[in-house]
Amino acid sequence: MTTTTAPVPSAAAARADVRPVTFGRLVAAEWVKLRSLRSTWWTLALAVVFFPLLAAMRSSSIAQVAADAGPGAFVGPVYVTSGLALGQLALCGLAVVVITAEYRSGQIRSTLAAAPTRLPALWAKLTVLVAVALGAGIVGVATGWAAASPWFDAAGMTVDLGQAEHLRIMLGVPLYLAAMAALAYGFGAVLRSSAAGIATVLGLVFVVEPAFSYLPWEPLQKVATYLPTAAGSRLVTSDTMGSVVAGSQSTTLTPWGGYGVLLGWVAVLLVVAAVLLRRRDA
Amino acid sequence: MIEADGLTKRYGTRTVVDAMTFAVRPGKVTGFLGPNGAGKSTTMRMVVGLDRPTSGAVTVNGRPYAQHRAPLGEVGVLLDAKAVHPGRSAHEHLLALATTHGIGRRRVDEVMGLTGLTSVARVRAGRFSLGMGQRLGIAAALLGDPRTLILDEPVNGLDPEGVLWVRTLLRGLAAEGRTVFLSSHLMSEMALTADHLVVVGRGRVVADAPVADIVARAGTSAVRVRTPDAPRLAALLVRHAGVEVRSTGADLLDVTGSTAPAVAAVAAGAGIVLHELAPVHASLEDAYLQLTADDVEYRSHPADATTPTRRTSGARR
Repeated sequence: MTTTTAPVPSAAAARADVRPVTFGRLVAAEWVKLRSLRSTWWTLALAVVFFPLLAAMRSSSIAQVAADAGPGAFVGPVYVTSGLALGQLALCGLAVVVITAEYRSGQIRSTLAAAPTRLPALWAKLTVLVAVALGAGIVGVATGWAAASPWFDAAGMTVDLGQAEHLRIMLGVPLYLAAMAALAYGFGAVLRSSAAGIATVLGLVFVVEPAFSYLPWEPLQKVATYLPTAAGSRLVTSDTMGSVVAGSQSTTLTPWGGYGVLLGWVAVLLVVAAVLLRRRDA
Repeated sequence: MIEADGLTKRYGTRTVVDAMTFAVRPGKVTGFLGPNGAGKSTTMRMVVGLDRPTSGAVTVNGRPYAQHRAPLGEVGVLLDAKAVHPGRSAHEHLLALATTHGIGRRRVDEVMGLTGLTSVARVRAGRFSLGMGQRLGIAAALLGDPRTLILDEPVNGLDPEGVLWVRTLLRGLAAEGRTVFLSSHLMSEMALTADHLVVVGRGRVVADAPVADIVARAGTSAVRVRTPDAPRLAALLVRHAGVEVRSTGADLLDVTGSTAPAVAAVAAGAGIVLHELAPVHASLEDAYLQLTADDVEYRSHPADATTPTRRTSGARR
């Protein structure tokens, strides 16, 4: 710190080359911010590691009973993507904190001073987050596939991307994760508190949605199928084996229709977040 | 150039900033001086669009802050030394800000050198002392080489060496023709750094003038006299028109409306021995206290036991 008192020639020793703020530059800046936090990498590692772990555990355990079940009883992608239920929680946690930590630390004031029209900063962060969630999903599915494959023969199952359902589940996992991350990010942006944001997302997945689907009253169960995770997880649900994420089974939603419903929730939440960001003091 | 026009901010029924109108001009250091709670920080946040004014408007370099296409190139702002994620290093924090404006790594390294942060560039900001946090905030403000600088309490938490450095830096930036607007509740610091002052109290502008004018306006200077014959000298002095004498001790007089030579002449004429004769100039501190006397939000009342200030609790002990 001895350089401090050296005479200050000028703040602009070499004139800084300043260019207008563009969306691309904001996305690049958000990537710098996300990658420069250790917690990002820890959380991503946690989100991904569930995939090979659970894929291997569940594949090996069904390999023991496959002889009784008969050939083709098990749908490979369901076991390969078993880690989704836990992986999504880690990723949702990251998605909440990526925005709420800015409010807790005061970083948001630096962020918005550089992007005073505000909304581009919100969308830039979302873009980076969705890209990272897609990437984590792809890595998760790939490592899950690799980890489960030693038991494929014994379990009498395969992963065949030529089959529509197999392809849908394998591709659906990154897409579902990206949408869930966007949903959690929306909650974080609205609530501006890590604790409240994470509690809301966990409450939705573990309390609200199960409550709706398990209570023995039909209208409620009908509503339950349209709640975010129940609807969205249709995309990664096998028609014969059920979902690895949601409890609700009796749905009339098609896989892509269900995913569309999840995207609808995301859109509504992000519109609320955008309106609030424009209105509130930072 | 910063121009505020009727800037007002209300939280519910509480008016924090009340119709402030002022202009901060380039080429000099303008101090924004006022007691805690006078609305300085809120005003500065409104200048850069972080808080929405309830009414009124403010422009920087001719337009509202949010309408600048490259705001960091127009305005550098230090609002809060802790406007940094604690898990991110100083270098990464500045790099992220620089990236939004396409500013290169060379400039990032340059401002870190300028603020003395090079040796701690990779240290996470959460481990920074308040002083280092201030340096990082100033580095961020300088990043875009802006024409206008807005700094909220920049010397807060700095060691004496750092205070001197900030003072030299700000005076240098103003000398280059930039607009420098800094807030403080420390008039001693302002007296050394600022050319012009906007003094605020309870959300209102109570003075907007060059530092010298504000000091001059603080009232007539006094002459302090120490003499064993105080009552007799006082009686002789008050015969002159416009002269007032206050006894401030057994042998001590404060004379206003006169000058040291005049007092000496009167004393010599009456054969009165003087032990001390000194002109007392009003300081910026006096001027500031006079200006904001009615506008202090959080005042300590030594005699008022209902106000739990440090001074009252001390008095009760």
